[in-house]
Amino acid sequence: MTASWKQLFFQILLLVFCRHINTKTPGPTPPPLAPSGPLPTDVRSVVLKGESQTEKVEVVNQVNLTLECTWAGNRDKQPNITGLWRKDGDEIENSLLTVQLENEQYNLKRVFNIVSEENLGNYSCLFGNEARIDFVLAAPHMGEVRDKPIVGYVGDTAVILCKMEESKPKPSTWNWYRMNGTDKEQILPAAEPHRYEIKNQAEKTKLLVHNLTEADSGLYYCAAVYPISTTMGHVELKVITFFEPLKPFIAIVVEVIILVAAILLYERSRSKKNYAAGNETNDQSNTLTQGENNGLEGSSSMRQRKV
Amino acid sequence: MPPAAATKLGYTPPDGGWGWAVVFGAFISIGFSYAFPKSLTIYFKEIQEYFSVSYSQIAWVSSVMLASMYAAGPVSSILVNRYGSRPVVLVGGVMVSAGMVLASFGKTIVHLYLCVGVIGGFGLAFNLQPALTIIGTYFQVKRPLANGLAMTGSPVVLFTLAPLNQFLFDSFGWRGSFLILGSIVLNCCVAGSLMRPVNKTARQKPKTEPAECNGAAAEEAATVDTSAQSDNLLTEENQSEGRSQGCVHRFIDVSLFRHQGFLIYLIGNVVMFFGFFAPVVFLAPYARHQGIDEYSAAFLLSIFALVDMFIRPTTGFLGNSKWIRPRIQYFFSFAVSYNGLCHLLCPLASGYSGLVVYAVFFGLGFGMVSALLFEVLMDLVGAHRFSSAVGLVTIIECGPVLLGPPISGALVDIFGDYKYMYYACGVFMLAPGIFFFIMHYFNYKRLDEERRQSVAAEMRTCEEAVQLKMSQADKTDG
Repeated sequence: MTASWKQLFFQILLLVFCRHINTKTPGPTPPPLAPSGPLPTDVRSVVLKGESQTEKVEVVNQVNLTLECTWAGNRDKQPNITGLWRKDGDEIENSLLTVQLENEQYNLKRVFNIVSEENLGNYSCLFGNEARIDFVLAAPHMGEVRDKPIVGYVGDTAVILCKMEESKPKPSTWNWYRMNGTDKEQILPAAEPHRYEIKNQAEKTKLLVHNLTEADSGLYYCAAVYPISTTMGHVELKVITFFEPLKPFIAIVVEVIILVAAILLYERSRSKKNYAAGNETNDQSNTLTQGENNGLEGSSSMRQRKV
Repeated sequence: MPPAAATKLGYTPPDGGWGWAVVFGAFISIGFSYAFPKSLTIYFKEIQEYFSVSYSQIAWVSSVMLASMYAAGPVSSILVNRYGSRPVVLVGGVMVSAGMVLASFGKTIVHLYLCVGVIGGFGLAFNLQPALTIIGTYFQVKRPLANGLAMTGSPVVLFTLAPLNQFLFDSFGWRGSFLILGSIVLNCCVAGSLMRPVNKTARQKPKTEPAECNGAAAEEAATVDTSAQSDNLLTEENQSEGRSQGCVHRFIDVSLFRHQGFLIYLIGNVVMFFGFFAPVVFLAPYARHQGIDEYSAAFLLSIFALVDMFIRPTTGFLGNSKWIRPRIQYFFSFAVSYNGLCHLLCPLASGYSGLVVYAVFFGLGFGMVSALLFEVLMDLVGAHRFSSAVGLVTIIECGPVLLGPPISGALVDIFGDYKYMYYACGVFMLAPGIFFFIMHYFNYKRLDEERRQSVAAEMRTCEEAVQLKMSQADKTDG
């Protein structure tokens, strides 16, 4: 609490001091909206190294965010330079002012009221045309979401998972949506308890779809709800019948059967040949060593084999 | 290799010809046995979400499969001793296939434990043992090379299965993938059909000049227990006496526990396996702990697998060379010690390039040990008793293989630093390596002594036989 009081005190001091110095150009605008008390404040300061820099700012709750830019300047340090604030490329009204060189540095500071989703975006502070710092204000991004489709089977259950990274702030709640034509339709398990089931844990959510049908294929959106906005992630579900994997299965089984049969048949034919060849050489040696009788025998056995 | 060893088998192994087809079949069987459990881990994340279980519960599937594969070793040995390699591999292939198909319809995680873990594990055990055994029956002179080539199946199949599994998962989800994997694994049956029982009727031709004397010597070597490897006596007796030997010997040869070489191998291996697989499992996590991104960490594993793939046949080839073959146990001891040194030096590696160097050296060591693992066992106990030996070894190794990675994991968790795990693994491998060196020095001395005695005994009986014949010839003449 003391820190935010100090911030407030400092801001009021700055207000007074700056107003005193810059009489021609308007000083930093005071916190515009009425409830400056209830809204917490936060400060993000960046010292520019180089020509441009981007700073990601994660916003979870409504906040009065002070963005501060500091630039060391060029070689020729001019005493004055124009300072400008932009949001998403568009110039913010009444933000153009002249910045004095103080302690060899140029300093730009502004307080922004971040209360809703439209206040999020890309805020840039520019020093003339030379230096720029971008602040990307966004709700925490979704953690690892599967980019390839999840495959489910008809009649089975599909489990779709969305996860926020451990280190990031946890969302207040999770919602699930389904693409219906062109818009997203929220999935309410209460309406169809037999089909859908949502299991939420602080940092992850699981959607269970029971009794899958092919019509259940498509995009499913998980939304992490934060006070300031919601982050969406999407996962595709693909539902197939059991015949899909059955086709390669049968193909490979057939290939195995053919190969095994071929190998065993080859072996049998070779062993028959060997057996036949073995008999032949025996008979031939018999005919050579012995007389006519054996010759007759040999030829008769050969005849028998042919039969 | 002394020709007496070939005579002990009772036939001449072909050392080529259909043997190379058998090596290819063994390549596929061994490849699936080792790579299949590892490649299934790709599906675990989705299955974990589907069944809403914790990661350790899903990791049990792999552990149960590995445990079944090792525990079913003796069963596999008994079946191979009884029926030969081919029927057992065919049955094994069908079992794994059936397990995977049943698992694809699974409704609970216990279903997966039973189908993939138990049935699948048993089926893989029925693939591994017979594949290793049949190499010993087909090869003698070129056996280390054949073993090295067959063991290369493991990294090659893993390399092929990993992207294939990813593709199947993206196209069909885990259920469809299990179904298709069931059919892919059926190719083990093709490998099994290649494992034709070796033709044992081929007789050795006598090579030396005094034909009679050598014939007598051959008979002596076949029947008298003066052979260097005393185990073969029992085998010869088995063959001659048949059923009267007793039921146990026909099923599994427990007399191996009195075989010195076998005991050395067993003790060394049990200690070694505590630190064998853990560094592979923790390579990627260690890299990520050092701050390296996920893809580069995974690439380290690919480098390791690639080096492993090429070093295994090379090791087989080296093991076959005439300088190393007679003293192949020292080569194995060197490989084990080298592995240990690698792990001890790993914590010194800094940055990504240091880890790449470590991955290369580790791949070398891992491949060398894997290629020689079963070759040295065959060298020690001989092809006849190898089947029983490998069954006994795998069931006893079951414990260290399963306990190794969790113990290493516990070390990492307790100390919060990976270096103590690497020191432990290094010690677990260096100690057996030195143990092997010392014990095998004495073992070789004993074997050489026995061989000298047997040769001397042969010469004596040979002279006596010649003298007897001469005196008989004199008598007939006179």
